[in-house]
Amino acid sequence: MPPKINAPFVEKVLVRFIRDKLGKCGCKKGILGLSGGLDSAVCAALAARALGPQNVTGLIMPYGRAFPEDVRDAGNLARRLGIRHETIDIAPQVDLYFAAHPTTSRVQRGNKMARERMSILYDHSAREGSFVLGTSNKTELLIGYGTIHGDMACAVNPMGDLYKTQVRELAAHLRVPAAIRRKSPTAGLWPGQTDEAEIGLAYEELDDILYGLVEERKRRKEIIEAGHRPAVVDRVVRMIRNSEFKRKLPLIAKLSPRSVGHDFLYPYDWGK
Amino acid sequence: MKVALAQVSPRLGDVKANVELHLDVLEKARRGKADLVVFPELGLTGYTLKDLVEEVALDPDSDPLFRKITARTRGLAAVVGFVEERPSEKGLFYNSAAFIADGRLLHVHRKVYLPTNGMFEEAKFFAQGRDFRTFETPVGRVGLLICRDFLHYGASYVHYSSGADMIICISAAPGRGVGGGDAFETSRMWELMGEAMSYFSTAFVLYANRVGIEDGVTFAGGSFVFAPGGRLAGRAAYLDPELLVRQVDLAAVREARKKWLFKRDEKPEVILRSLERAVRAAED
Repeated sequence: MPPKINAPFVEKVLVRFIRDKLGKCGCKKGILGLSGGLDSAVCAALAARALGPQNVTGLIMPYGRAFPEDVRDAGNLARRLGIRHETIDIAPQVDLYFAAHPTTSRVQRGNKMARERMSILYDHSAREGSFVLGTSNKTELLIGYGTIHGDMACAVNPMGDLYKTQVRELAAHLRVPAAIRRKSPTAGLWPGQTDEAEIGLAYEELDDILYGLVEERKRRKEIIEAGHRPAVVDRVVRMIRNSEFKRKLPLIAKLSPRSVGHDFLYPYDWGK
Repeated sequence: MKVALAQVSPRLGDVKANVELHLDVLEKARRGKADLVVFPELGLTGYTLKDLVEEVALDPDSDPLFRKITARTRGLAAVVGFVEERPSEKGLFYNSAAFIADGRLLHVHRKVYLPTNGMFEEAKFFAQGRDFRTFETPVGRVGLLICRDFLHYGASYVHYSSGADMIICISAAPGRGVGGGDAFETSRMWELMGEAMSYFSTAFVLYANRVGIEDGVTFAGGSFVFAPGGRLAGRAAYLDPELLVRQVDLAAVREARKKWLFKRDEKPEVILRSLERAVRAAED
């Protein structure tokens, strides 16, 4: 399993990270989507501490009347943190599109919704001069459980090096309401969906396998010997491999001696 | 005498701004009656330079900005980290540490061990240093190390064998591991080495690490001074800037060596012969 984190220390590091990154870009404000789930709640709590609640906006973007409890929890969280929040129903734009281009695929619809939310977040970030804060955790990033250019899109991601089980620890330390901490994690792609049902295993087991593969660089065989089912381990390995494209910028065909993404190499924080 | 560890956060790729930062800290240290001020690795340039390396490289003897710092060391000494390029070695860039005292450049150490694995890419951008040597200064005999040099204990051994009163390591060490106490887990690694080297070389060990964040990587801070015999004389905050000032007395080297006879009984010639044999065997 990933080790227990020292949550106060992690908070210290991540608060400095958010403040530093935005400060270097001359930006004081952050914006993020509030789903009513754990990850966005933790990110909002960190952002409120780093930037001051008055400089954080949470956008709640339900599809029509789906997931009313999540909408309520997201609103309660925003009020509790004292951050600004706004609710925008994405149903009109989503329905308009699918009326013209119908599909029966739930995943396709879910991805489209994630990208609509992304485009609204980025538009609002331009309106108020704020940075889009990402909420993807390490578990999701490693298995590619997210929509590319959708919920994975952001300017900075404070939580991308914390496994889901570690995000839970941080959430408890940050006093994220129990209503949010206790619910089953869901991508909210369709009613009744839960991450663990869709991925096919509990986050504890998933994190244990990922920790062994990634941090401890164990082989498949060793993970199985440690007590995991071979089919599950194989599936996790496959998910990691097949989602590498989600963790990188698009590949550029190399032609010149010095190409973007290959050997034109500058830091993000250039001159900052 | 007083030593000051300047745990600062340089601006990446902006030599001019960092020279100002160094001059400010030097003045502050001077007002605090410091005799030696130690700045972190690549303090004049920032760490995550990549292709910026050639843009920020300078010759410490002729560069006007660097000479501003040198000129401000009248009456004290300083260790400064920078990217070195000499007119005689054009296009070779070194991750270097300069020892300056009383307005004169006394010594430059070029980093020997350039970490190039995982998140580290130093050998992609820097040429490798090839020497460890001690030198006399107004604050005793000194051996310089840069960051990873310190984790290869042979380097400290060479300084110890060459009579160092003080082993000074400048560092830009990123923090990793958050499962421990109120610091990154990797901070313990540096402290352990500092304690051990000061204990067994019966010399002072000064470790100046930087703070701040570059490209998502947080530098851990926690600069420290160990007195001979593994005695912690002071440690700066983790994560945040600080000017750590500590009184040190070189007589402590003699005191420690009266108690622990490692130095008297040391046999560098046996080590050298054995090492030569080991190296030859490895090459065969």
